[in-house]
Formats: sequence, C-alpha cells, structure tokens
Amino acid sequence: MSDSFDIVLNGERHRARTGETVLRVAQRAGVHIPTLCNDDRLDAAGCCRACLVEIDGQRRLQPSCAWKAAPGQVVHTESPKVRRHRELLVSLYMADHKLGPDGLPLHTTQGNELRAWAEATPHKKLTQVHAPRAARGPDANPYVAYDPALCILCAKCTRYCDEIEAVNAIALSGRGSETTIATAGTRGLLDTTCELCGGCIDVCPTGAMHAKQAPRFLAKAVFEKVRTTCNYCGVGCQIDLNVHQGKVVQVTAPPPGETVNDGNLCVKGRFAYEFIHHQDRLTTPLVRRADGQLHPATWQEALDTAAKGLLRVKDKHGPDALGFVSSSRCTNEENYLVQKLARAAFGTNNVHQCAAT
Amino acid sequence: MTNSIPEIEDCDLLFVIGSNTTEAHPVIAMAMKKALHKGAKLIVADPRAIWLTHHADLHIQHRPGSDVWLVNAMMHVVLNEGLHDQAYIDAHCENFEALAATVADYAPEMAEAVTGVPAAQIRQAARMYATTKKAGIFYTLGITEHTHGTDNVYCLADLVAITGHLGVRSAGLNPLRGQNNVQGAGDLGAHPDNLPGVQKVADPVARERYEKLWGVPLPTKQGLTLTQMMTAVEHGAVHGLFVMGEDIVVSEPNAAQLEAALNRIEFLVVQEIFPSETMRFAHVVFPAGCFAEKDGTFTNTDRRVQRVRGAVQAPGQARPDWQILVDLMRACGYPTPAYQNPGEIWAEMSAVSPRFVGISHERLDRDGGIQWPCPTPDHPGTPTLHVDRPMRGKVLLRGVAYRPPVEPTDDAYPLVLSTGRVLYHYNAANQTTREKGAALKVPNNFLEMHRYDAKRLGVKDGERVRVISRRGAIEVAAMVSPRMKPGLVWMPLHNFGDTENRVNLLTIDQGDPVTGTPEYKVCAVRVERVG
Repeated sequence: MSDSFDIVLNGERHRARTGETVLRVAQRAGVHIPTLCNDDRLDAAGCCRACLVEIDGQRRLQPSCAWKAAPGQVVHTESPKVRRHRELLVSLYMADHKLGPDGLPLHTTQGNELRAWAEATPHKKLTQVHAPRAARGPDANPYVAYDPALCILCAKCTRYCDEIEAVNAIALSGRGSETTIATAGTRGLLDTTCELCGGCIDVCPTGAMHAKQAPRFLAKAVFEKVRTTCNYCGVGCQIDLNVHQGKVVQVTAPPPGETVNDGNLCVKGRFAYEFIHHQDRLTTPLVRRADGQLHPATWQEALDTAAKGLLRVKDKHGPDALGFVSSSRCTNEENYLVQKLARAAFGTNNVHQCAAT
Repeated sequence: MTNSIPEIEDCDLLFVIGSNTTEAHPVIAMAMKKALHKGAKLIVADPRAIWLTHHADLHIQHRPGSDVWLVNAMMHVVLNEGLHDQAYIDAHCENFEALAATVADYAPEMAEAVTGVPAAQIRQAARMYATTKKAGIFYTLGITEHTHGTDNVYCLADLVAITGHLGVRSAGLNPLRGQNNVQGAGDLGAHPDNLPGVQKVADPVARERYEKLWGVPLPTKQGLTLTQMMTAVEHGAVHGLFVMGEDIVVSEPNAAQLEAALNRIEFLVVQEIFPSETMRFAHVVFPAGCFAEKDGTFTNTDRRVQRVRGAVQAPGQARPDWQILVDLMRACGYPTPAYQNPGEIWAEMSAVSPRFVGISHERLDRDGGIQWPCPTPDHPGTPTLHVDRPMRGKVLLRGVAYRPPVEPTDDAYPLVLSTGRVLYHYNAANQTTREKGAALKVPNNFLEMHRYDAKRLGVKDGERVRVISRRGAIEVAAMVSPRMKPGLVWMPLHNFGDTENRVNLLTIDQGDPVTGTPEYKVCAVRVERVG
C-alpha cells in the first residue's frame, strides 16, 4: 500500500497518509468536525459520538476520530443524516447537563466545549434528566475538584490519568446513568496514586474537572493569559499565567502540540504559584544598621550601601576577595549582568551559580 | 542534552541512570511513559526502587557511587561480545585502544563485589542497550553529585560513542538539568572559566571581544567555583559576597562550617524574593521580582531558549533582578547601559556569542523556543547535536578507572546516606513549603530506610531517629520503605523549614575535582533511636 492516497471529503479530494484517521485528514483540510472526547495524545476512544460522519458503504455513521482513512473513501461530514444525528446528540447531552440562565450549557472560566457546540448547532429542548451521577465525598486535596453536573463522561480525564500520567488514580465507575468519575474506594485524591498533576482539569472539555482554588465562572473578557516559562525544573514547560485583577489566579497548559511540554504540566508547574502573592515576600530593601539589625531602607540607600561595601572589600583585599553567586533560578539576562558585575565592574572571575550543587 | 525532549517518545530503549525522573522531571517522565506506551523498553539503574522501576524491563539496583564500575563492566561486555560500532569508532573516535585496555579489567563477574549487581543483569543491560539503535541515556544528579561525577559522565559518554548512539535521533546522552535555568546561567557566563556564550576566559580572542564590548580590561586569573568560594569564605580568602537567588546556607554542604564563616564575613549582599537563612548574615538585602514579575529568557535542559514574560507587578518596592543589577553596577561606578528591557541585554550578549547570534527576543516571540547552537537569524536551531560528526571533531574516549566515594562506611558510621528530590517540593523549598498541596503530601523531612535496618535499630515507621555523620546530627522521622536496600538510607534534599534538621548539616563538602559538585549522594552515617 502506498504511503499516501486520496479520500473524498464532502465532494473534494484530500490527501491522506496510511494510518491516519478521517478526523485528522479533515482537520488538516480545514473541514470542521465537532468532537468532545478527542485528544491527539490519547488513544482514540470514539465515545462522545460528536464526530460521527457518513461514509459511503457503511450502513451506520462512524466515529471519525477512530475510523482510519482508506484509498478512495467517500466521506460526508455535513449530510442530512449527520446533521440530524448532531442535533439530537446535542439535545441529549444538554438534557443531562447543568444549564445557565440562557438555557445553554454553563460557561466556566476554562470554557465549555458543549456550550460552544450547542451555540453553533440547532437543538431541541428535552426534559432535563437528573442523573444520579455521584460526586466524590469530602476530599482534602487542595487542587482538583469534580462537578458531576457538568460531566459528559467523555473519559478524557481517566484516559489521561492512565495513558499520559500513568498513575490510574481516577476511573469510570458505576453503570448507565450512575456512571461517574471515581477513585478506588471513593477515597480523596491525597490517598490515591494521584500525583496532583491536574492534567484531568486541562483535558476536561466542559469544566467538570476544575481547579479548586481558581475562580470558576469568570467571563473570558476579564482575565488575561500570559504565556511564559515555568520556573521550577529544567524541562522548560510553557505555561499560561491566568491573570485577574493583577493576580495570578490559575496556571494552565498551552494546547497540546504547540510547545515542548505538549500540553502537560506537573503539580508544581500547575499549582505551586501561591508563592507569587504570598505575604512573606520581601517588599522593601533592608540595610543592617549600627544596632546590628536589618532595617527597611530606600532603594537609594540600599544601593549606595551595597556599592560602598563591595568596593571597600575590593580596595582592602583586591578584586579576588569578592565572590559573586549568580542564580540558575534567574533569567539568562540577569546571569549575564551578574557576571558582568563581577568581571567588568569588579575585575574578578569569582562568579558561579548553583549548577554544581 | 545531546537530543531533544520531543524525541523521547520515539525511543525504542530508555536507559535511565541516576534520575528519579517522575519526581524530579515529571513532564519528561510523561514523554518516557509515552515511549513505553508505544512499546519502548526501559532499563533503570538506581539504588532505590523508584516509580520507574515498576515499569522497567530491568532494574539495576547498584550501590551508590559504583557507577563507574557498572558502566565500565557494560562496556566490557559490549567489546567482548563485539556489540560495538566499529565503523563509528574508526570514523569519529580517538583513544579507543586505551579505553579498551581500561575496561578489559572490569569483568561483570568482578563487578558484583563493588556494585552489588549480578553479572547477568549487567550483560543483559549491555546487550539491550548496544543492540538498540534508538536508545537514549538519561541521567541527573545521581550521576553528577559525586567526587567522581565527571568520571561517571565520561563513562556514559564512552558507552554512547562506542555503540554509535551519538548524533542519532531519539538516542544520545541526555543530562536532565534540575533547575529552570541552570543551563542558561552557565551559558551566559555565570561560571568562573567561561565568558558568555560558553567562550573560555583563557581564550584571548574571546576575552578581547568582551573587553571591546565592555570597555575594560578583563581579569585572567582563574576564578573560584561556588564550592571553592564557600571554602574561601571559611579560610578568610574571600571577604565579600554578592548572592542572588540562592539560599547558600541551605543549599551548600557542611553548613555548620559555612555559617561560622558567614558570621565573620566583611560584607554580604543578598538579593531574594523570600526571607532566607542566608539573609541572617546579610548587610544589605534587595527584594527581587519572581519569574511572574519580569521579562527575559530561560534555557531549558534541551538547550531551548524560551521567553519569560511578566504577568503581574512585583509586591511593594520589589523590582526585577535585572533592574537592580543595572543600578548596582552604576552605583559601583561602572557605566553599564541603561537598558530599556531585557531584550537589549540579550542583544548585547548575542552579538559577540556565535552560538546565540541567531536568537533574539523578537524571534522568540514570533517562533517560540529555539535550541542553540543558532548561528544565524534564519537558522532553525539545533534539536540534535553531533549529527554529521562530533562537534569537537573526534570523540575523545576517556576510559576512566573506578575510584571509591571519599567517605566509606565503617563501624562508627555503617550506613550510606544518599539524597534526592521529592515530587512536591522544589530544591531549598522556599517556594513549595508555602504551597498547600506540598504541605499536605510531604509536610516534613524524613529518613527512608529498609525494614531490616529499621528492625536492627528497633525503629518503627514514623518514629523519630537521630541521623549522625562526621559533620553533624539531625532528627527526623523514619520512613520504612520497600524502595530501599539494606545498608542504604535516603533523605530529601529540601529544607522543610526545620532549620536545625536539614540534611546539608550531614553531607560532605568535598567535590568533584573538575566541576566542584559536592558528593551529596554518598556519605557515611549512623542512625539512632531518639528516646
């Protein structure tokens, strides 16, 4: 079999590669197919049924996220049969979903893909079913929470926990309308194999899995995302600092495929940002005065005292009696400046950082 | 790293030695898990049965400090069984005969006495590694924090070279750097031997470039490494220190001696975001902005320069470090330019650093991270090093002989203490002890030990024990754990806010002769029940 071939998508020929799914070919061709449970990092599950398409020769609609493209295949993504299916499916999802005052799936800070889909798709108002899907009991973990009223059981969170983080702390449990996202023995996450990476939150399409300490229902317009590099280990994960009213209120991962971390983060990168606004932060320069104590000072006084003190050591003992400890926690530019301070301003090569320790 | 993080998922074999990747580099561990999900094999060499060992095809549980023996024995097998890549050696390596002569003395059967690893496991590991093309080696501080850390790295590099794993996608030799910008800090010249752009101080051409740029003659005298600086403070050769973003009293080994010296120091400037232990000795303290409050770049472990962007204001009068440094330089009478933003600082540096010339803040904003070397503005960066041939020209095979750790166990100090990281904390833990999750998951320091050792001492899980080395004594809770081997105990390197009981009161300040990295992974201790 050749490595690539044509398939026909909505009457147009598109190139497909061996092993690719119909969804992937469509995405590359710019043909929109709705999906809720697909994530390129995960094995295809085909469980949300949003991406069903009509394929000539197939009696039933097929999930495009799992269906492999084949030479000459003829696919319809907007046929009457597909549209009828989508309209009914959105309506069914909405009947088992918490709706906002506008009658649409509830908006959350992290978005709600079901809402976006419902906005774009004609749907019927069906009687609300209140599925007895169980929430988790008291859970002392400070980071991850689950709201069953927004869960669509796409299992992205449990599959992420299994396939990417590979700790299997959460799983689908129960049957039928009682199916829910549970832990072994319904324990709190701190007492499971969970490593609190929070990947379940990022993959959740509806905001059912959410960050406990982040504001849940902010309108998109009132917070800003600033892309930066995580400040913990050397992996260099790209993170988005979500800023609201001058404070970092949440850290999220950029979409998969864009950055070195492929949409993944660990517990430190995602949750250990409380230190930024912590009350213990140093907020004023300090100078040791005659009483032997450190006292608040102006920047001018602190800079002058520091300069005088360092120059005095240099004058008395020579430049090599000074040592400059730079920091692998600080930026490249700041490390450049520290070694420039040592070499150009004071004339010593005694400059190093904690690389060795 | 010779290779890149995105290459990891396509490895057919991962050889992880001295790296507890799931705890120290969790997101690289996810890439490793993905490789395993796709069918890769995994060899883990670690004295502890870390998480990765549960998914490993082979766990080599060697004694701390016996890495040279282990890897030499692997090379012994490779050469004896003809599994080496003769064509690669002929074309790209030198000193092969000397290496072959050295490893000839390291038969796997003899390795067992030193490493504690059965010969069959060493053979199996050598065969698996040598016969898999896409086989990557990953290591962290388990390799480097030894008085023979450089030897460990040389050994691994020899193994990579003689099996032709250099310059191959999803293979190579990959140190996982522990800190966000430990790579960049060294690259930018925060190193006694190197000017920015990894140009040697000893190289007159490089020095001249910077003399012209900075308008002053540059010192030629050999500078001190951090460990040497600390020793020099203790011996009265260094009288003034400027310390930015490191709590040296918590991070450096043999802390009691260092504290005594800092009491006598003539002048100490500390630039920090939180109150630190080192601050107790400071004459001036500058409050700095954290990563979320400033602009700049970090360079990660796969040499990827990426942007740091300020999102919020620093609290109170705290200011970004770069602004403080500019003001300090000017207060000291050195007329450094008044940069408007860190992009201008980067531009000043990169103009005379061939490795970075092609990288600018504007380009990083447009294209995302770029991996050095990047010699021109249209160069795409270099994901894999040494592709066509080794950058140095030829790989110099070293063939190093085993040296034991400096502090052997004896009757008075019968246990080996090793240290490392836990997932929920970060280094000195100034930041993470202020986080709810870390406080719930790992609130306190502990000593991990095998149940045999615990039983012999009459210690139960959770009980307080006193850990005593030749340098100090501390008290922590015992954690009886199936991950340990008898004779080995382990503690986190983090400072849990309990200043009296931090592990660096125990560790040795003797470092590797080349890098100065202290031997945090091996020291001799004894453990006693408290009360």
